[in-house]
Amino acid sequence: MVLHLFRKSEDGLEQIANRTIAMLTDARHSFDLAHTALLSGADAGTIREDVHETDTRINQAEQQLRGQLVTHLAVHGTVDTAAVLSYTLLIKKIERIGDQVKNILDMTDEGVDLSDAPDVQELTAYRRTISNMIGEVADLMADHDEQEAAEFRERADALKKEIEQKIREYMHSDEPGHVAVPRAILYRYWKRIVANLGGVISSITEPLQHQDYYDEGATDIED
Amino acid sequence: MNGTLLNRETRELTPVVRGAFVLGLIYLFLVGVSLLETGIGDMGADVQESLFSSVSNPLAGLFVGVLGTVLVQSSSASTSVIVALVASGALSVEAAVPMIMGANIGTTVTNTLVALGSVRRSAEFRRAFAAATVHDFFNIITVAILLPVELVTGILSSAAESISSLLVGSAGTEWKSPIKGAVKAPVDWIEDAWSSLGAGGNALGVFLVVTGLVIILGALVLITRNMRRLIAARVETVLNNVLGRGGGLVAMAVGLLVTIAVQSSSITTSIMIPLAAAGVVTLQNIYPVTLGANVGTTITALLAALASSRPEALTVAIVHTLFNVAGILILYPPPGIRELPMRLAEGLAEIAVRRQAWAFGYTFLMFIIIPLAGIALLR
Repeated sequence: MVLHLFRKSEDGLEQIANRTIAMLTDARHSFDLAHTALLSGADAGTIREDVHETDTRINQAEQQLRGQLVTHLAVHGTVDTAAVLSYTLLIKKIERIGDQVKNILDMTDEGVDLSDAPDVQELTAYRRTISNMIGEVADLMADHDEQEAAEFRERADALKKEIEQKIREYMHSDEPGHVAVPRAILYRYWKRIVANLGGVISSITEPLQHQDYYDEGATDIED
Repeated sequence: MNGTLLNRETRELTPVVRGAFVLGLIYLFLVGVSLLETGIGDMGADVQESLFSSVSNPLAGLFVGVLGTVLVQSSSASTSVIVALVASGALSVEAAVPMIMGANIGTTVTNTLVALGSVRRSAEFRRAFAAATVHDFFNIITVAILLPVELVTGILSSAAESISSLLVGSAGTEWKSPIKGAVKAPVDWIEDAWSSLGAGGNALGVFLVVTGLVIILGALVLITRNMRRLIAARVETVLNNVLGRGGGLVAMAVGLLVTIAVQSSSITTSIMIPLAAAGVVTLQNIYPVTLGANVGTTITALLAALASSRPEALTVAIVHTLFNVAGILILYPPPGIRELPMRLAEGLAEIAVRRQAWAFGYTFLMFIIIPLAGIALLR
């Protein structure tokens, strides 16, 4: 009963990394579901429970991981302090993605349905890109390929700028409110999700003190 | 420049190499115990009498055990030395038992010192100090109950003597310890080396005792450090799996096994303090871990006793185990009494949070002033 607990197990930070990847998998699942309601016209009521359960799972994982990170430091001493602080930052970012997905689903409560919108193909293409990026981040968290992580970071920054431009366009658009506002809000959530994915990857590409900071000290604080 | 998560790779010994190194250190530890025993034996009877007559008073012995353990911050080390002294014949079982009990109290200083590190953050400090002092209170209450009982009835030493005689023979006889035979050669080499440098009589005894102490302390420090690294991943997994779900007997078993593995209750209990401070584990979860650690730490003295040919050495080591097991049996099963050390620890933590100087005062008084005063007055 007790002795089996002492059998060889993976390193504590490996376990934490694996749970982080599981959080990302959950986040992608929620992300895809929420957009099924918004962009494909699926019944939000049936999706809501799944999205909320997944978000609860992500939140619980974050809380448990915090405890595990403290345990890791207590057992191993200070050798992994920077890695532990990095994980603290990145699991918060993944938790935020879960919240942002929930916010996207909440748009359907306000009657937003873009499944028949003329730009649904474009919106769906963005959704697919971001969903794939969540999957890529999960893979990178497993592989720790620095080169691929740096390339991902560049693509995420470019996409973020592209989305920012979209938001700007809708802010100055002559389209009626019921057209411009939901899109501006949706793009805004996507921007935050992409920024958070970039933040997660910065744990692989950047030393601790530079994580969450973009070029020349501009800070990413708008969670 | 690499990211934080890419910079973790460090040069590590393989588990097999580290395990072999630990086995070598255990052998070295046993050489140290045997050297200490030989060194005391080489001293004249008058020197032995003058060294150990002061602990004939049981309370003085108790305080010597507390202070000695506080100084080396390891009950494994202090109890091994006590066992070696008994093995040499210089210290009687009766005089050694209170010292062993004192060592149990003294070892709790380490996690109390760790808890003082968070003194400036009230909420953390409250939890950390309670988690540290629950160990103090449990051991003090156990000593308060079992020392008088032992002095009046000799129940612990009688039971330990019975077990010891079953295993290795009666007191006053000699048993053929295989470990004693295995460490004889290096002990003889070191004794010859000191003799060749001109040491003889009491001086040779002193040199051997000092060499033995250095080897015991050094070996224990290295055993603890290496075993901690060897099993760190497993300990982490166990703590995550067990403590998050509650305390009880499983947590006690975890404390026991981790302490046996790292040969240090201080390590086990000190790991718990940051977890308590952060609120990751509760006082109720930590309490049984410390009790398991109390029993686990007795393995070192048992190991030390195997390097001796006198059954009395094993008797004292078994007393250490019985004392801690008896403490658990008396204080843990009844729910009302089980809560007592936790309530006292929480009360003291509450006072310490309001008046931080009291936390330092308590530590200084409990582990330095009272033992020193006790030794000065009672010797």
